[in-house]
Amino acid sequence: MGGYGDVQLLRDDGLRLDGRKLDEMRPVSIEAGILPAADGSAMVTHGLNVAVAAVYGPMEAHPRKIQRQDRAVIDVRYNMAPFSTGDRIRPGYNRRSREISKVTAEALESVVLVERYPRSKIRVEIEILAAEAGTRCAGITAAAVALADAGIPMRDLIVGVASGKVEDTVVLDLDKAEDNYGQADLPVGILPNTGEIAFLQMDGDLSPDEYNLAMEYNFKAAAEIHEIMVDALKRRYEGGEN
Amino acid sequence: MVELVPTLLRQELARLAEDDQRLDGREQWEGRDVSLEIDCLYNAEGSAKVVMGKTIVYAGVKFELRTPWPDRPTQGSLMCGAELRPVAHRKYEPGPPSPQSIELGRVVDRGIRESGCIDMESLCIVPGEKVWGVMIDIHVLSDGGNIFDACGLAAIAALRTAIVPAERFDVGEDYKLKVNGTPIMASFTRVGGRYIYDPSEEEELGGDERIHITLGDEGHLHSLQKGLRGVFTPAEFAEIFEVAHQRCGDLRTLVANQEGN
Repeated sequence: MGGYGDVQLLRDDGLRLDGRKLDEMRPVSIEAGILPAADGSAMVTHGLNVAVAAVYGPMEAHPRKIQRQDRAVIDVRYNMAPFSTGDRIRPGYNRRSREISKVTAEALESVVLVERYPRSKIRVEIEILAAEAGTRCAGITAAAVALADAGIPMRDLIVGVASGKVEDTVVLDLDKAEDNYGQADLPVGILPNTGEIAFLQMDGDLSPDEYNLAMEYNFKAAAEIHEIMVDALKRRYEGGEN
Repeated sequence: MVELVPTLLRQELARLAEDDQRLDGREQWEGRDVSLEIDCLYNAEGSAKVVMGKTIVYAGVKFELRTPWPDRPTQGSLMCGAELRPVAHRKYEPGPPSPQSIELGRVVDRGIRESGCIDMESLCIVPGEKVWGVMIDIHVLSDGGNIFDACGLAAIAALRTAIVPAERFDVGEDYKLKVNGTPIMASFTRVGGRYIYDPSEEEELGGDERIHITLGDEGHLHSLQKGLRGVFTPAEFAEIFEVAHQRCGDLRTLVANQEGN
């Protein structure tokens, strides 16, 4: 986490700088099937974050060496657009995006019924168009909706959510300032129906009690976002706007 | 896939062309509906989204402080780049920028740069020391054909909404970037032997060479590009130039209308 101590993140009335309560998440909206060229797609707006995911496949897995004889591989690319942050990001892969892509792929492989598609590849492209803390979580949520939109069989959806700690207080869904000056960040990918966890990262400093509270917040938020995901998919397939 | 399909598609496109028809029912010089959204991306200093049929393109503008080139101490710089990321179509592979995406970015860049719509001297803060570098990044999210025109439109529309973030860089107050003009691109592809305006994905797949024309407000040419294998006659160019003139005018009006809202 960044430096802390000198920036006030909680107001005197106990609310956060943007007026949210400790266990209140930023507004989330989701649209499925937004990219005509893709087999499945979704756009997730989470606070000021905008994440778009496209799914292609299942398709032939190449290069050949990535093929698995008994299952499909999921090839995830998480990428931030050059204009998505305060200072322009040089286009291209970096260490951060490689790591996020890897753990996101592994999380998605935990829910997709990959054994149905041996020797094939499912491509998941996550593009961050606007970033304001929490892009990997928005990306995971978008990827899950896009996979479902592509009709790829899954055990469950995955919801990306994060909690953290600012001024020694556990809060749900860190915004930019809280992420920069806070004390901990705990992003997870939750399977909303089974209550299992497929994605887990953390950095900073949390006591066991703080961890438990942060996880409790995460599960609460995951249930809320899950409803929005299901609603987006229903609108798409019940002859809604698209 | 890309090599097998066109044989049948080409025959079909040629048959339609004989009857002066197109696969999606459009007239020869008819474009698809274009929707333009401006100022749509948080964090970008200027932004635009263009939807043309199945094509979706975003453009975002960012600024940076840099030292000027030694031979142009009083001029800032403009750079326009396009990314054809694998998100946009199953045909795009990950990896370093492909020749196609470099061509795309450079053709859009030339149209904007050569129109002179940005006065490079106005980007100077301290001569010889500090100037603004303006970067337009184009992100193609869905390639449904004719991404050139979509990218050109998104780039100039984004640039025209840009606010120079001087406060953030501690060099004065934010102000709107001065953009004198709206250069617009029009693209044509030879399909079934004749040129058509605004090719769809299928028309590009089963078509031949393409021509891109960027025109300024006064109707002057600012960039031309011929791509892919094939030749054309001066008479053919004269015909599409007339069409380009009209279509560019229509799109310029669209930009102005969006800005008026």
